[in-house]
Amino acid sequence: MEPRFACTACGKCCHGLLPLTLTDAVAHAVRFPLALVWTVMRSNAKSYDLATRLGTTVRLPNRKTVAVLIQPSAYLPNHFPCPALQPDNLCGIHADKPSRCRTMPFYPYREEKDQADLLVPRKGWECDVSAEAPVVYRNHAILDRADFDRERAELLEQAPVMRTYADYVLKYMPWIVNDLAKMAAAPAGGKLVTSLSSFLTATRRTDARELAAAQAPLMQALAERTRNDPALADFHKNYAGWAKEMERLAQRP
Amino acid sequence: MTSSACPCCSGLSFETCCGPILAGAPAATAEALMRSRYTAFVRHDLDHVERTHAPEIREDFNRAEAERVADECDWQRLDVLRATEEGDEGTVEFLIQFRRDGQDMRHHERASFRRIDGQWFYSAGEVNPKGEPRRVVKVGRNEPCPCGSGKKFKACCGR
Repeated sequence: MEPRFACTACGKCCHGLLPLTLTDAVAHAVRFPLALVWTVMRSNAKSYDLATRLGTTVRLPNRKTVAVLIQPSAYLPNHFPCPALQPDNLCGIHADKPSRCRTMPFYPYREEKDQADLLVPRKGWECDVSAEAPVVYRNHAILDRADFDRERAELLEQAPVMRTYADYVLKYMPWIVNDLAKMAAAPAGGKLVTSLSSFLTATRRTDARELAAAQAPLMQALAERTRNDPALADFHKNYAGWAKEMERLAQRP
Repeated sequence: MTSSACPCCSGLSFETCCGPILAGAPAATAEALMRSRYTAFVRHDLDHVERTHAPEIREDFNRAEAERVADECDWQRLDVLRATEEGDEGTVEFLIQFRRDGQDMRHHERASFRRIDGQWFYSAGEVNPKGEPRRVVKVGRNEPCPCGSGKKFKACCGR
């Protein structure tokens, strides 16, 4: 049976962490609180080879090598709606929405032949997968592939920048290797988050001040919003700390 | 006028220890520069930290993050574990104890310094440095025992 899929605009996927291409992250810096999210891929993972091209490889203290994806992301708790999601569950920036949202439910960090399970709606999502929905994936190939190809191409293009950043972090925050090793050893993997300020410093972005000025009020607002929720203590700590960093960066001469 | 103790834990007063270096005087040794950089964090004087980075790492300095770290940490003490200099190269291994988010933390680093035109600069750091590799000498069964007994190893400690 061929997988069928149609979006019903239930808005359920418009929540939580949103990986962005670097271009989209910069373009939407006034909208999304940005962070860099690291994911470890073990060498037996299906998309390991792809991950080495999109990300970087790191040798762990136990001498094993893993691939590490570093995704510029809208950094939001799982149940927080996208800031662009409107009350009618439609996207407020549909015409300019990020590649990640256009390509859904496909995911270019995985090989094209390994996308079938992404067409099965996650718990609580209301995607239409009935006989009425169109066929979108056939013989392990995406039928309308323009968005997928565009996002993949952007990711490949930005890979050298992400590698520069990884080298910086491993040099100046070497303890991160231990965190990566822990993630590699944990059955469920895990995610590690680093700040936009370290990314801006590492990549010598000339627009750092403008990006920081766009980010500071977002970080402040989210720090307030997460202040009294113990379950979001980590998010609160990051938002509050990054708010300070962004304010300072924005004020730099 | 009373002079306050220098934050770098040298036992000297701030005025005779890190004060002049923070004010722009060249540090006499790599260790003195290292101490003054710690004191700069304690006193939120990140300008001093920034200008004492060697040229090749100056652009790598994340000033915004350093200022936040300086704000959020309650600096408790600095211990210089080892300081060596050879010509214009210096190495200082140190341990900083501080509190952050209500937790006691330690930062152990072996930092490299370089003297350029008479001024010391911080050039690199290894966090949680590995010690010198331990050398294991294998003693042959028929060699003299390393305990100094004069017997063969196999007849002494190697039995």
